[in-house]
Amino acid sequence: MNRGYEGTVAAPYESTSAGIKDRQGTLARLMIAPAIAYIVALIGIPFVMAILYSLSDVTTGDPSVDLVGLRNYREVFNDPVFRLSLKNTCLFALVSQTLVIVLSRILATLLMKEFRGKWLARFLVMLPWTAPIALGTIGWLWMLDSIFSPIDWLFRRAGLLGAPGDLLGPMTNLYWLGEPVLAMASVIFVHVWRLLPLATVIQLAGLSSISKEILEAAEVDGAAGWRKTLEITIPLTLPIIGIAFLFGLVFTFTDMTVVYVLTRGGPVHSTQVLSTWTFFKGIEGGDLAQGAAISLFLFPVLAGVAALLLRMARRAEVT
Amino acid sequence: MGRAKRRLISRRDFLKAAGLGAAAAGLGPAIVLPGRSYAQAKELKILVWSHFVPRFDKEWFDTFTKNWGKANGVNVTVDHIGLAEIPSRTAAEISAGQGHDLIEWIAPPSQFEPSVLDLGDVVKEAERRFGKQHPLCRRSSYNPNTKKFYSFCPGWTIDPGCYRKSLWEKAGKGTGPVTWEDLVTYGGKIKREQGIQLGIGLSQELDSNMAGRALLWSYDSGIQDENENVALNNPKTVEAVRYMARLYKEAMVPEVFAWTAVSNNQALIAGRASYILNSISAYRSAQKEVPEIAKDIYFTPALKGPRGSGWVSEHVIYNYLVPKYSKNADTAKKFLLALVENYDQAMYASELYNSPAFFDAPIPSGNRGYAPVKGAKKLRDLHNAWFENDPFAIPGEAKGKLSVLKDAEKWSTVVGHPGPASPAVGEVFATFIIPNMYAGGARGTKAEEAVAQAEKQVKAIYAKWREKGLVGGKR
Repeated sequence: MNRGYEGTVAAPYESTSAGIKDRQGTLARLMIAPAIAYIVALIGIPFVMAILYSLSDVTTGDPSVDLVGLRNYREVFNDPVFRLSLKNTCLFALVSQTLVIVLSRILATLLMKEFRGKWLARFLVMLPWTAPIALGTIGWLWMLDSIFSPIDWLFRRAGLLGAPGDLLGPMTNLYWLGEPVLAMASVIFVHVWRLLPLATVIQLAGLSSISKEILEAAEVDGAAGWRKTLEITIPLTLPIIGIAFLFGLVFTFTDMTVVYVLTRGGPVHSTQVLSTWTFFKGIEGGDLAQGAAISLFLFPVLAGVAALLLRMARRAEVT
Repeated sequence: MGRAKRRLISRRDFLKAAGLGAAAAGLGPAIVLPGRSYAQAKELKILVWSHFVPRFDKEWFDTFTKNWGKANGVNVTVDHIGLAEIPSRTAAEISAGQGHDLIEWIAPPSQFEPSVLDLGDVVKEAERRFGKQHPLCRRSSYNPNTKKFYSFCPGWTIDPGCYRKSLWEKAGKGTGPVTWEDLVTYGGKIKREQGIQLGIGLSQELDSNMAGRALLWSYDSGIQDENENVALNNPKTVEAVRYMARLYKEAMVPEVFAWTAVSNNQALIAGRASYILNSISAYRSAQKEVPEIAKDIYFTPALKGPRGSGWVSEHVIYNYLVPKYSKNADTAKKFLLALVENYDQAMYASELYNSPAFFDAPIPSGNRGYAPVKGAKKLRDLHNAWFENDPFAIPGEAKGKLSVLKDAEKWSTVVGHPGPASPAVGEVFATFIIPNMYAGGARGTKAEEAVAQAEKQVKAIYAKWREKGLVGGKR
């Protein structure tokens, strides 16, 4: 916009000792260099190393790399635990993110309204996001303990558990992490608890950006309640809902803390996910090569999700 | 309070004695290993696990290393890390080619063999000075295929059964279980009549792994044979899986599928388990937290299977490795010898959690930080005397409760039993194949199928490590 003006004024300086800040190309390259160096060092090199490791026979005790082709991938795919982990990873990610989107939408809608103590409600909603994930999950491990679970205690006090004929059964505890279905539900629940605040904030931003005029016009035309939600707010915030969904998907796909702390993949691998199986095989078991191969199975999914994310972000920006 | 009064040795006395012991070790022979001079060494970095008995680290190990360093002109740094962090930390240091000079594992670290020094010379020197190393420790640190000591094992921990006497008395078996079948018969009866389950873990954690192996060996089966051939899929393993399914149904609840390494301790201390398979750490915790429960806890040796065999795995096997990158290997080796020399203090400071690898090692003279044991000349004498008359018993506790542990090395074995430890044994252990095999059976998978699935995983692991020349056998 101002190039002509800048050009005429800047010309005398460029010809003599043009400062680095006047050379836009150089300045841009310099400013982006740290980011590129960071990405290359902390993402690029480890990624290339992971590919190299997955094609080799490297172990934790023998870092020398001898290439073995696709052997690790074949062996990994023949392993029933890997196939179960892959299935569980997808299940956990999709179910927890669907719940996150629905619940965050409800929360965001509530938080858009004016009410007493709104700041406290917002603070409480954000709390799980501010706690380190490992600490938060350890808290849930105690809540779901097989002996001392306060949730079970509440059920017992309410007369729902612990005596013959009780709704939840005669046993003293529900054994949240010891029954496959309850263990899965617990892992999904903790993921939802953890990611709900981020999704709520994203959805709040989306709802805030809808023009009041559009909403008022819709109301004048007779749209209210569900109709307004389904035909106005959801379509207008769809790109941002997509971003919240995909962000959560990436977090869930790559997270190992929740499963590792809560169940270590049990009972009988029913909550095993790719990230924990990578750790058990690659680090604890010493087979770094197979660990790398397992972790790379996530790459196509995550790359696809990342591409989608970028595309949606651009679309949201245009909107 | 009563306990503090009863102690003949105060904390301060013990610290003093630990220092004296370390100094004495430093003033011992200047040349420990032939042809090696330690005078040039100035630094030693040691990475050890945070011991389950906190006073071991605080009151003994840290003081001992500090004083040993002072006496030998070595600047010693000790870093303690949690048990779960040891594998990743070791892998990171080996990969980076720098880090600690000595790293302590509590399992055989056989997968690191290509990157660590052969400690055969330390074993040789230790055996010259302290007598034979117990085979259990040797088999956990030596690879018979490459003839290399990939680590040095100065001690181990016993894994007895712990039972609540009052509950078993009411069920008609006050002496506690003798066979695995007793767990079904009397453990089941206790659960039905007294509402207390028993706790053998079927989860992805350390104790479940140990218990699963004990059952397998007591049923005359094993993951491998003595020549490191995979031997898991056989009728005796199927029999063991069927037994576990029965035991779960009769005497346990689903909590065992979710257990962590401390869960069985917690269950026993909370009065919610009639029997667990664990070291004496649960009992020691109960002595401090719930004395009434502690007084009711008694111990059993390995339970016998249907044909009379009875084995348990060592609960912890202490293994020190020296990475090839270490510039202070000679100092590290000298430290290991000093550790063995002072293992009487390690046993005492761990409240008898640690047992020695060198039973014939002489007890150093002077104030050792504990009440002298009459007639005791070797670690074996101390081991027997302390288990007969527990110096940490609380007032009002029956005498001789730990005496069944005196000959524990006769019914304890290594994780690779009847063969040696190896990287394949380690990976089978780390991926929890055995507890999951039993858990599958207990949750309704056909025993034959659970065993076949486990064998498939085990065979793939063995084939891989065999190709690298670190595991013997052919099938």
